[in-house]
Amino acid sequence: MSSSSSDASPSSGGIPTPGTVTLTIPCSPEFVGTARLTILGVAGRMGFSYDQVEDIRLAVGEACANAIERSNRRRGGPPADGQTPEHSISIRSSVDAGRLVVEVEDDVPSGNAAAGAAAAALGGAGDDVNPVELGALLMEILVDEVSVEPATEGSGTRVRLVKYAAGDS
Amino acid sequence: MESNSMNLKVTPRRVDDSTQALDLEGEVDVYTAPILRQEIMDQVDAGVKGLLVNLEKVEYLDSTGLGILIGGVKRMKEQGGAMKLVGPSARITRIFEITGLNRIFDVYASESDALASGGAAGG
Repeated sequence: MSSSSSDASPSSGGIPTPGTVTLTIPCSPEFVGTARLTILGVAGRMGFSYDQVEDIRLAVGEACANAIERSNRRRGGPPADGQTPEHSISIRSSVDAGRLVVEVEDDVPSGNAAAGAAAAALGGAGDDVNPVELGALLMEILVDEVSVEPATEGSGTRVRLVKYAAGDS
Repeated sequence: MESNSMNLKVTPRRVDDSTQALDLEGEVDVYTAPILRQEIMDQVDAGVKGLLVNLEKVEYLDSTGLGILIGGVKRMKEQGGAMKLVGPSARITRIFEITGLNRIFDVYASESDALASGGAAGG
């Protein structure tokens, strides 16, 4: 493929082409890097600043880590080496004119103690600092909108992150 | 002993009689953080009083990594030592600031600054 002239570049100041990119990864730590790479590609098309792209990348990483943490908690620990993860995480990034919406949806059943762990962490103000709460705090700060709700299908959780192209937070 | 995964390399290094450094390179995230936790625990178990965690080559740090660093600061303090962070990028410094962890962490621009500051991890 030959290089194209600069006016063909999608990041040359024009409005990004609307579209949705969906990636599904096993609910396991070694795949979170892949999710972050994908989001880097999507956010990079939107004219965000370097810091904004990094903010989105970190927020998505936190949402994935949160799903993995809930999965581990449910199982009573991380999966053994070589064991196939029983859950998956779907990362759906939707681009439209002014914003990037990333929905991180898992199929980790949110029964009993695990129920709304992410939501609780978002609202919690406990004295103990733990990674789940820190992750929730980071998501809140790094993107413009965060919501945690039940997954569209099944009994998992969906974290919805919105970043506005014009915002500087 | 040096720990290595595809995404994070942690290399212990002796600085002086009372100070040990861990040189980090790569990404500290939910996947690689257990490596860092183990390396810090090894230093704690060895009775090290001064630990410098060199972040100069860390490209990414998430809440799992932050949690490990908080645990390291706490454990070092419990045994009468101190853990200092050295050379974080502007990006990681920003993460420390927005989470308020810059008030908990002892952060220095360079190793010589950390050593000159005295305390358990200093000269």
